[in-house]
Amino acid sequence: MNNENIKNDTINWQWEISPAKSWFKLGLKELFNYRGLILRFVRRDLIANYQQTVIGPIWIFLQPLLTTLIYLVVFGNFANVSTDRVPKILFYLSGTIIWTFFFDNISGTMYTFITNAHIFNKVYFPRLVVPVSNIITQSVRLAIQMVLFIIIFLFYFFAYDMFQLSFKMLLIPFLVILTAGFALGSGLLIAVFTARYRDIDTFFQYILRLGMFITPVVFPSSIVPQKFQLLFWLNPLTPIIETFRSIFFNQNAIRYDFLLIAVAETIILLIAGLILFKRREVEVMDII
Amino acid sequence: MSNIILKAENISKYYKLGVIGTRSFKEDIQSVWKKAFKINNNLSADEQANEAHKNELWALKDVSFEIFKGDVVGFVGKNGAGKSTLLKILSRITLPTSGSIKGIGRIASLLEVGTGFHAELTGRENIFLNGQILGMHKKEIMNKFDEIVAFSGIERFLDTPVKRYSSGMYVRLAFAIAAHLDPEILIVDEVLAVGDAEFQKKCLGKMKEVSAEQGKTVLFVSHNAQALKNLCNKAIHLEKGRLLGIGRTQEIITNYLKNEQIHELQKKYNDPDQAPGNDNIRIKKLELIPQYLDQNKIIDIRTPLVVEFEFWYLPSEIIDLGVSLTLNTVLGDCIFDVDSVAKPYKKGVVKGRCKIPGNLLNNGSYTISLFFVKNTSAAIFEFEECLSFDIEDFRENTAWYGDWPGAIRPQFKVQLEQEEE
Repeated sequence: MNNENIKNDTINWQWEISPAKSWFKLGLKELFNYRGLILRFVRRDLIANYQQTVIGPIWIFLQPLLTTLIYLVVFGNFANVSTDRVPKILFYLSGTIIWTFFFDNISGTMYTFITNAHIFNKVYFPRLVVPVSNIITQSVRLAIQMVLFIIIFLFYFFAYDMFQLSFKMLLIPFLVILTAGFALGSGLLIAVFTARYRDIDTFFQYILRLGMFITPVVFPSSIVPQKFQLLFWLNPLTPIIETFRSIFFNQNAIRYDFLLIAVAETIILLIAGLILFKRREVEVMDII
Repeated sequence: MSNIILKAENISKYYKLGVIGTRSFKEDIQSVWKKAFKINNNLSADEQANEAHKNELWALKDVSFEIFKGDVVGFVGKNGAGKSTLLKILSRITLPTSGSIKGIGRIASLLEVGTGFHAELTGRENIFLNGQILGMHKKEIMNKFDEIVAFSGIERFLDTPVKRYSSGMYVRLAFAIAAHLDPEILIVDEVLAVGDAEFQKKCLGKMKEVSAEQGKTVLFVSHNAQALKNLCNKAIHLEKGRLLGIGRTQEIITNYLKNEQIHELQKKYNDPDQAPGNDNIRIKKLELIPQYLDQNKIIDIRTPLVVEFEFWYLPSEIIDLGVSLTLNTVLGDCIFDVDSVAKPYKKGVVKGRCKIPGNLLNNGSYTISLFFVKNTSAAIFEFEECLSFDIEDFRENTAWYGDWPGAIRPQFKVQLEQEEE
């Protein structure tokens, strides 16, 4: 063909495709190179979600408000569940926006392969782009919902002279990151398994629905029987939601010990999830 | 001055057939259980190996090639030859089971146009979305935005959601984005199959421009031999996952077509009792003899075809016998039906012959049927679709590679004359 006697060792190959992949390559640097695409997906999801709707983005406010209203009637009035002396609307609203944030993150992540199969089958980009952009989208929604929460909080603060503002509020971004990390880590693990075993997906959906009742969303952790307290607090969402409430309402002391355990659990899940996801992201496409 | 830009070494890809990925958790546990306790012992080792082989498929086996900067390489092969698998591996959608590919520079693949388009978003938003999915940077898209819009010809609908686009507009916009990708290596799969004739021309023109003027490397898969011949300087022929040939397009395509054209061109029967037919007619021999114009031995639109047949004629009464020959497309449309002069024949072997001139039929797949007719009115034997063959396209001096329209392809020309003033 050509007689230039090209020796392979002298060529500076820029990339290589081969079957073997290192177990400990998370591809985070590559992910950073794709930040443009991540933000594009965020934009797509935010715009597309409210196209052709009557009240558009107001839904972001309305969803937690309506949920809160239902909890208020069912759990607050009919069942008369304690809210640790916190005004009911604020109690349910805080629980529901954090729980929804977690729920949307984990369910967005666990269906990564199934909902994006048509794109993944045609184009390469780090698959992690999809769950990460989902988390950013949900964070934007959370931020908007937090504004709603803070408005109602300030109403109680000024009108009834309740609560105090404290420096502990600086912990909130940390709680948000912890929730997102927990959702991402477990979501990635489930994503890999659901792509292989479709029936597991039903199982996890069930667990996720039940999850709301082993998390202090509609009731405070104080009403959980003593013998289940430890188990209850090992759920990372328990210290997250309780800490969030303590920061604003100061109804209980913050349990830093369990918060630390939640951090450890999240880090383990996140690392395991990232490794397994990265390892399997391409192979999964052969079986989906 | 060719520099190597991509090198594939011994790529193999293995698929498990049938139940890929549909195994449930329970079945996986069961197989682990069986392995652990060696439950399958009543099957011998050979039987087990056989069982395993039945369910496996090497979509690619030890494929190696090198591609140089500025090459336009066509991949040819039948369905299932491994072309798509190879493209998927090159585009990093799936991993090879063994082997490796090394390359230099950005690689972009166009296995489909409009990947990731969101129906609810406007054309403008989708240009950015699709562009970024395909690997362009936002700045790059902004710089080329006007060009993309002009190329697609959808200026007026830029702020309309793409779900309101006609399918033609949708494809035009999608291709316009893809055409401005500007990678070092571009992978294109069958994009020619979509869009109208004018648009196809635009696409192929753009591909040519990309390779010839900008010196980019293009890897191109198509069933359209004409397009491959005119666009590619190199071709790779795959069959059943193996590399059958790599080299100059002309030779590879010729080989490929020859391979493809092994159809039913001949039928012979030695024993009248076994031959198709009935009490009156028994087929002895049937053959399509192409009169090839060159050594390539490919039937193209220029090739005259001779149909020869022999039959045992066993009439029970004296009749006027006629034979008519029908040529149909594979889709069943009749192109023509010609017949013989009806007259009486004696018992014994009767020979028939019909020459179909070259430069008459369009390219495509055809079948031939024979009808034996009594007294020019009633069929006494119908031998339907007894021969089948393909006719390839042939064109010189053209820049248009789409399907030539028309049922037939006669070679008389339109005459133009300059009017003297």
